[in-house]
Amino acid sequence: MIGFLRLAILGAVGAAVAYWVLLIYSRSLRREALEKEWDADPPVGATPEGRDLFIEEGMAEYERSLRRKLIWLVLVLPAVVVGVLIYLVNYA
Amino acid sequence: MKYVKWTFWALLALIVGGFLHYTLPQHDIVRVVNTYQERQDLGDWTRIFWSDPDDQSSTLTNRDVQFISTIRANGKPMVYRNEDTGWNWPPYFKFDTASLQTEADDLKSSPESPKWAVITHYGWRNQLFSIFPNAVGIKPVAGPDVRIIPWVNIFLLVVLLIIVLTVRAIWRQFRERSIDPLVEDVGEAWDEVEERADAAGDRARGVWGRFMDWLRTWSGKPRK
Repeated sequence: MIGFLRLAILGAVGAAVAYWVLLIYSRSLRREALEKEWDADPPVGATPEGRDLFIEEGMAEYERSLRRKLIWLVLVLPAVVVGVLIYLVNYA
Repeated sequence: MKYVKWTFWALLALIVGGFLHYTLPQHDIVRVVNTYQERQDLGDWTRIFWSDPDDQSSTLTNRDVQFISTIRANGKPMVYRNEDTGWNWPPYFKFDTASLQTEADDLKSSPESPKWAVITHYGWRNQLFSIFPNAVGIKPVAGPDVRIIPWVNIFLLVVLLIIVLTVRAIWRQFRERSIDPLVEDVGEAWDEVEERADAAGDRARGVWGRFMDWLRTWSGKPRK
């Protein structure tokens, strides 16, 4: 029982750290892509404020995107893998 | 310096490779000749090679361990221990030791009429230190020459490679977006400090130069 608790707690902490790091990484990639998209072809009469607005709008859209939601798999998949492993090793 | 670097990388490869070789599953084609149970002393450093099947087992100094003795397809003997890994490392989540022992019993055969089976196991056999690989599963096969493709290892190594590359990409992105701009700022700030120091030096030379000129007026030399 202690062994299970230790695995569950350490696993949850590890998955949470991985989730958090991937969240920041994915957001950083999207922001960089938006910056490059604007800088490659800025509209006529572009201002730094317009650039900021464009990036913030793009980031708000990203927060609702599928890619952002898929990062949840980092928390779900390990538990599923453990369940499948227990079945395959002991019952299959 | 070159040798230090190579030694470091060789040691790292040895440790990572050894760890993977010990932990990942391997398949042997064997013929089971016997299963037995034997009291094992767990008091010395080879303790790290035995399992902790349940919570109190980590404090025991000895306990019974089940074994499966086999003859491999190449004719050499191989003895496996049969222990639960439970929730501990390595993460096989094996709880079916008693069932595995029964399956192994069922597959016992003689050299005259062999029943071949493939044993999945992890770990190493070492006669000198009395350590045994842990059997995880056993399955009858047609003969000693069947070909086994290690799909689990292929999958796990690919996943491991993806994780390593992802961590590397995350680190590069972090450096590019968070550290490099800071370093540039520091560089610019440092340039400013140097410029200011130069300007102060010029001013100081100016004051000092004017003072020396004034001193020289006492000797009758004209000011520059």
